[in-house]
Amino acid sequence: MELSDHDRALLDGRDGPVPRQAMEALIQLGEAFDAPDMVDIGYAHVHAGMAMYLGDVELMEDLAGKGAQMRVPVSTNIANADMGNWQDTHAPEGLARLQQRAEQAHKAMGSANCFTCTPYWAGHWPTWNMHIASIESGVTIFANSVLGAKSNRDGFFAVYAGITGRYPRFGLHLDSKRKATHRAVVEAKPEGTTDFTALGYAIGAEVTNGIPWIGGLAARPDLDELDALGVGMATSGGVAMFILPGVTPPYTEDSEAAPENLPSLTIRDADVRRIYDEFCTGAAEDFDIVHLGCPHASFEEMKHYAALLDGRKVRDGIELWVTTNRHVRQMAADAGLLGPILAAGAKVIADTCPISCHFARTCSPDPTLGVVPPQLRTIVVDSAKQARYVRDMIHCPTLLTSTERAVESAVSGRFVPRF
Amino acid sequence: MSGAPREWRGRAIVRGRASGPALPSRTAFSFLGDADIRSGAVVGEMSDLRGQSVTGKVLIVPATRGSAGAWRFLYQLKQHNTHPVAIVTDDLPDPSVVQGAILSEVPIVSGMAKQLAAEVAAGAMLEVDGDEGTVRLL
Repeated sequence: MELSDHDRALLDGRDGPVPRQAMEALIQLGEAFDAPDMVDIGYAHVHAGMAMYLGDVELMEDLAGKGAQMRVPVSTNIANADMGNWQDTHAPEGLARLQQRAEQAHKAMGSANCFTCTPYWAGHWPTWNMHIASIESGVTIFANSVLGAKSNRDGFFAVYAGITGRYPRFGLHLDSKRKATHRAVVEAKPEGTTDFTALGYAIGAEVTNGIPWIGGLAARPDLDELDALGVGMATSGGVAMFILPGVTPPYTEDSEAAPENLPSLTIRDADVRRIYDEFCTGAAEDFDIVHLGCPHASFEEMKHYAALLDGRKVRDGIELWVTTNRHVRQMAADAGLLGPILAAGAKVIADTCPISCHFARTCSPDPTLGVVPPQLRTIVVDSAKQARYVRDMIHCPTLLTSTERAVESAVSGRFVPRF
Repeated sequence: MSGAPREWRGRAIVRGRASGPALPSRTAFSFLGDADIRSGAVVGEMSDLRGQSVTGKVLIVPATRGSAGAWRFLYQLKQHNTHPVAIVTDDLPDPSVVQGAILSEVPIVSGMAKQLAAEVAAGAMLEVDGDEGTVRLL
């Protein structure tokens, strides 16, 4: 692998032990995947250090304790507790305190602490042709497909990219790999973000690790819908990029169609409906939590929730959770949007979400934290991504419906299905 | 087993050396879901290793099944001391598995799992050399 003078200097320890460790690890990764050299990274969305995972916050403290500094703009991924208000989710204080240690470690390293799966709504907006690294698959697909930045589906090593400003050139960092592998013809007529998560989920299940060329949508989806479409695909499959002409740089609306010989799939309304059916496993009058904000809500979505909840009241015995990041929450507060949401009895939670908090049964945190996942009956969700991981991580039934119907469900105490 | 090869050569993926009893499988392995973090027991219904433990073993699998979160679960196995000591695959493992293995110091060699699974018995002591890309029967 060809190394630059900068790479070699880090490897020789010029900038201390952590950049050396990071560069060694990145070289090993690059050699495993035949990367010819490294690219300059313009931005990294990195691991928070997660209190629900044993020894995981300590991973970040170790880096910070050795003096690591982020070389490029870095944002932090979703965490396991709302660090400012863990009481709202009934999280054990010990878990929240441990999570706050990750916040301090990142602060010391110069990360922008947004603790979210949607850092773009917090202002992290990489642009066309910028190589980035991201631990969150939803960020990866939004960056590749909507913003035109270049990112693999990454893991812990996004932190190393942030520390070194470099990443091995393989996968979607190579233009030759950013080509459609499938043609997806959308005959379905999605309405609202939940439908777009389900549409994406249906496409991802067929395409698995491929890159779908998407045709047939009647109108350009708005930013929230594009976000929803991507996370759906990234959840059911390993999709890291879609091509939607007119949206995905550099494809214009009149781009030539995808090559003729690609495997083709057609997604009809029935296919979207089947995703709702798959994730309606709970009883219609027996749910404890209604969740909005997967992925973490944008400011526009906060406006929508505020309008839906204005003058309404969440039924006794039901919790309505709105999850977003701390910066959007502040923007919503400044815009007077939190008033109607909170007055309705809903909770606005930052830094985490149901599948990322102490509800998860697939984690094994330090036993001294006293984490006991609660017995939940059913969670009503408005995202196919949340539904999938409620099933797989919380091991609890779900009821998937549109945002508007989820709010009606929370107010009436009876589930309002999409179909 | 006279005449059987006692050393196999593949591709070095993750550096380091480790030895342990062979745990051969003919199904792809997912670190997110197939192994219980606390015990190292294989619980995934799609794995032919279901009911066995990966702890301390040389895990021999044709491929890893994709998930961007695999690195975290491999690292959790390491944190709970329930991890396999080395991994041998045929296909190149997912980048996430490679990252987890580098972080957890679990050597990986690829390009020889099927051959190895055919030629060594479960429990045979193996040494995996992730620098040289070799596996040796001890």
